[in-house]
Amino acid sequence: MKIVCVAACTAGIAHTYIAREKLIKGAKALNYDIKVETQGTIGTENELSPEDIAAADVVILAVDIKIKGEERFKGKPVVRVKTEIVIKSPTKFLEKVTHSLAQA
Amino acid sequence: MDINKILNANRVKLAMTASNKEEAIAELTDLLYDDGAISSKEAFIHDVWLREAEGSTGFENHIAIPHGKSAAVKQTTLAIGRTRRDIEWETLDGSQVRCIILFAVRLEDQNTTHIRLLSQVASALADDEVIDQLLDESDPEKIIQLFSQYAETDLC
Repeated sequence: MKIVCVAACTAGIAHTYIAREKLIKGAKALNYDIKVETQGTIGTENELSPEDIAAADVVILAVDIKIKGEERFKGKPVVRVKTEIVIKSPTKFLEKVTHSLAQA
Repeated sequence: MDINKILNANRVKLAMTASNKEEAIAELTDLLYDDGAISSKEAFIHDVWLREAEGSTGFENHIAIPHGKSAAVKQTTLAIGRTRRDIEWETLDGSQVRCIILFAVRLEDQNTTHIRLLSQVASALADDEVIDQLLDESDPEKIIQLFSQYAETDLC
C-alpha cells in the first residue's frame, strides 16, 4: 500500500506536524509506504512529486483548511479528514481507509 | 538545530498553581513576559484566545498545546508548564490536562529556524515516550533535553 498525504492545520504551527508524525507512525505499524507533505506557517515541506502521486494507491488530506495544489490529485482516490482524527487514532484511520479501498 | 534558541529553563514551570484554562494560559504567559519574550501580556493572551476560538488545542494524554501568533511576541518561543491540579480543557480523548505547551509565534517571522524548531517540538508529541516523560520528569533541564534530542534528529 502506497499512501501520499498532505497535512495542514489552521495556524500551521502544531497540529500539522503532529498529524504528520502520527501518520508516519501509523503507516509504519501497518507496513505501508507513506509520504507526507506539510503545508504550515513555514510553507510547504516534503512536497509530493508528480511521481509520488502517480504511484500512490490513495491520497489522504489531513487538513483543516484549504490547501495549495489540490488539483494535483485529480483522478486519484482522495480521503479527506480533519487533523484531529489522524492525531487521535492514526492506525485505526489508515486501516479504515484501506478497508474502504478494498471494497471500492 | 539547537532547541536552546527557543527554550530555556526560565520558560519551564513544573508546579503551576492554575486551576483552570484561563489561569494556565495567563501563568505561562507570565513566564514568557518575565523572560522578555513578549511585549504585552494582554495582547498575547488575546491572540491565544483567538486561536482557541477556532478549535480545541487540547491534545491527548493530558497534554494541551495552545498557541498564539501575535504582534506582542518579540521572539518565537515556547513555554512548558505542568499543573498541580487537573485542568478542564477540550481534549481529543476526554482526558483532563496536566501539561501545557504554549507556543508563541512572531507575526513577521514566518520563515525562520525558530518556527521549524517549534514544529519539531510538535512532532515529538507524537511519541508516547516523550509524553510519559513530560508528565513525570521533575527537572526542567531534562524536559528541555527531551525536545533537544528531537530537534537534532531530522525525522522525515
